[in-house]
Amino acid sequence: MNFKYTAIALTLMGTLTACGGSGSDDSSTPDPVVPETGFSFAATEMVTNLTNDVIVAGYADLAAQGDALLLATQALVNSTSQADLTAAQEAWKAARKPWEQGESHIFGPVDSLSIDPHLDSWPLNTTDLQTQLDNNTGFDAETIKSWNDDVQGFHTMEYLLFGDGVADNNKSISDLTTAEREYVIALAEVFRDYAKQLDDAWQISHNPQDANALPYADLLTSPGSDNNTVYSSELAVIEELINGMIGIVDEVGNGKIADPFGDSLANADTSKVESQYSWNSLTDFADNIQGVRNVYHGEFTGSADKQGIIDFVAAADSTLSVRISSEIDDAILKIQAIAGNDDMPFRQAILDEAGRTRVEIAVTALTTLQTSLESDVIPLLSEWNPQ
Amino acid sequence: MSKKLTLLAVSIASVIGLGTSASTYAAISAEDLAKAIAKQEAEIAQLKQQLQTIAKEQAQQAESQKQIEVTQHQQQKAVSDVVTNVAAAEDRFSQFSFKSYGSANFTSDEYFDNVQDTTPERRNRFDLERIVTEFGYQFTEHWSMEVEIEYEHGGTGAALEYDGFDEFGEFESEIEAGGEVVVEKAEIRYRPSEAFGVKFGNIHLPIGLTSTLHKPNQYLTVLRHKSEAAMIPAVWNENGIGVYGEISDFHYQAQIVSGLNSEYFRTYDWVASGHQTRFEHVNADDLAFAGRIDYGNFKTGSAIGVSYYYGNTSGNRNKSNKLNVDGTLSIVTAAAAYVEGPWVLRGQYMYGTLSDSDAITLANKTTPGLQPGNFAQLGSKSQSFFVEAGFKLDDYLAIPMTVFANIDYSNPLMEVESGTATKRYENTWSSIGVNYFPIPEIVIKAEGGLQQVAVASIPDTNFFALGVGYQFSL
Repeated sequence: MNFKYTAIALTLMGTLTACGGSGSDDSSTPDPVVPETGFSFAATEMVTNLTNDVIVAGYADLAAQGDALLLATQALVNSTSQADLTAAQEAWKAARKPWEQGESHIFGPVDSLSIDPHLDSWPLNTTDLQTQLDNNTGFDAETIKSWNDDVQGFHTMEYLLFGDGVADNNKSISDLTTAEREYVIALAEVFRDYAKQLDDAWQISHNPQDANALPYADLLTSPGSDNNTVYSSELAVIEELINGMIGIVDEVGNGKIADPFGDSLANADTSKVESQYSWNSLTDFADNIQGVRNVYHGEFTGSADKQGIIDFVAAADSTLSVRISSEIDDAILKIQAIAGNDDMPFRQAILDEAGRTRVEIAVTALTTLQTSLESDVIPLLSEWNPQ
Repeated sequence: MSKKLTLLAVSIASVIGLGTSASTYAAISAEDLAKAIAKQEAEIAQLKQQLQTIAKEQAQQAESQKQIEVTQHQQQKAVSDVVTNVAAAEDRFSQFSFKSYGSANFTSDEYFDNVQDTTPERRNRFDLERIVTEFGYQFTEHWSMEVEIEYEHGGTGAALEYDGFDEFGEFESEIEAGGEVVVEKAEIRYRPSEAFGVKFGNIHLPIGLTSTLHKPNQYLTVLRHKSEAAMIPAVWNENGIGVYGEISDFHYQAQIVSGLNSEYFRTYDWVASGHQTRFEHVNADDLAFAGRIDYGNFKTGSAIGVSYYYGNTSGNRNKSNKLNVDGTLSIVTAAAAYVEGPWVLRGQYMYGTLSDSDAITLANKTTPGLQPGNFAQLGSKSQSFFVEAGFKLDDYLAIPMTVFANIDYSNPLMEVESGTATKRYENTWSSIGVNYFPIPEIVIKAEGGLQQVAVASIPDTNFFALGVGYQFSL
């Protein structure tokens, strides 16, 4: 009996030793030939380029447009010239452009410093806005900064400059009251300050409370360095960039367009249309996707070719990189096409049967793009072999 | 005759014969005798042995009898011990107290999608509002303790909220105050006399009537008074120490407690969300004073009283470098109750001031990561009041029912330091309803009313609520 158990024990021990041994054998034998998976791509140039030439350049533009907008509104103080009001309206639209394009990378300081709600709170609180107009004489920027966000920023200025937008977007200079002029100038000053703060956060220090904090641009371009507590690797940066693109495609398709659109003409709600006073909604939406295009291609349209996410995608799958590119362009075209042949603003289009059909086509294009980014581009992150 | 003789002869002969045989017998008997004696001796020995055995058994019996007696004695002792223990346990149990109260509600309100929306939509909701358990123990005549644990909204640790005031209406994940299972009170009391007592630990502040009257049978409305919740933490508890007592019909309280944190002050509920419940530790760099004096007893009947709160709020900010002003908060309340016969009449006026409200607003708006959103602007002055009037029908209809009318008003943004305060947060709720007590421990309530916002463009809305509440104590 004892012999029998000993024999079993020995057999078991032998088997176990054999098993254990097979693991340690690997170190002594050459690495097995791993089938080549994934793709290789050197991302440093792309990240540096996207950071400096797209994001930082965009916020620098926003800050410059903020200065221009302040000057344009200041010209309204005592003006009776319709051209001055038109110039201020154009300055507003010009400032709107880099901001809307920048929504494709709405991470970092714009989020952590809460600058987004200060600049672009929507909907506007017209009731409180009227209260402020009725009860104040002389507006100053510092006071306005302490007010709630729904009576300042882009849409408050828009309302004052363009009117209520129900029938048209052409306010007459004679309809601009003294209080409205003073208010819009003070708002433009507040806007300029925040735009400057945002620009500084990217280029000088990402935390105004901490003198030693790096510019946010440096955090993107030097992931994994000692004092970079935000990004540990280039992978994290690329993931942030791609998720930024997905975020705005989702917001435009499922929020900005779909919410006011409703499930039927009867349920369409124009009160939810963003930039309805200036009738700038379709330009906003197209600019949002243009921002995605900027990040994807790595340069503003018309500039010399530089590396963008497209090069990252192409390294893995050149067919996919072209497809995404055309889906982005298609989404922009379909959004612009909502205007139809008679240049219909979005708030009118959702109340028009033919317009609604065009809106649905645009939403489908956005959904297609969002699906591709989520199901085809995001998985590339796990297949990438960083170099 | 001869026959007679023969018989005689035979008899003689037999006697002789017997005599012969007897002599023979006499000859063997010595041996037999010895045997018989031996036999008898053996029997005697046996008997002796048996006697010994019996004696032994008797001794054993006596021994076991003794043991039985010992055991019985032990048992008696044990029984008496148990009796003593039970008495002691009963005594201890009588020092222990357990109370519980709770409520569940159905509400139907009209709400607005966003700040532009002036077409309200109706939303019906159920809420297991709260279940509260209270454990108390009277250590000695003078020392006692009490712990109150509250399970709110079913007692989960996180909640998802829909914020219609945000851009497109956003879903926000909110981790509640260390979960929605909250220790609402944990105090130790020393009360040597009716006139004077000390309590410390996590104690209730006597600011606002809801702190005193928070059980479902102690207020008439389905939900607690909205006016108070729009200004201060409802059923406000803080860490600290307080003295209290009762001298004739006067009740007094005075406390030093941890203060509020101005980082979380918001437009819509003024300083209420500054209640430090978000973190594991409560910052106590700014302490506050809370006091109250009542004539009469609000819990049991008619009374009048005033309360006062005073303290700074900036020192308790987590980001201490954002603000170097005090943010001094003071709140005063005046309340009265008339509970007599079929009448229940209660009311309270509350007024508060906050210094440096503009500076706090600006700091809250620009603290990285704090994200107060659109509700940073703070009232430098704030006010609210409520009046509830009830009439008990018990005597007239033989139904334990009270009908009531209630008005709640609050304006947390009554005045701002600079500029004009919006009237958006100035709310008035007027309602009527009934309280029905099927048994004294249970109350079923119904209430319907009107909510008015002091902004002309926002239409009035109607609300309806049903509630059931209970309370008991062991």
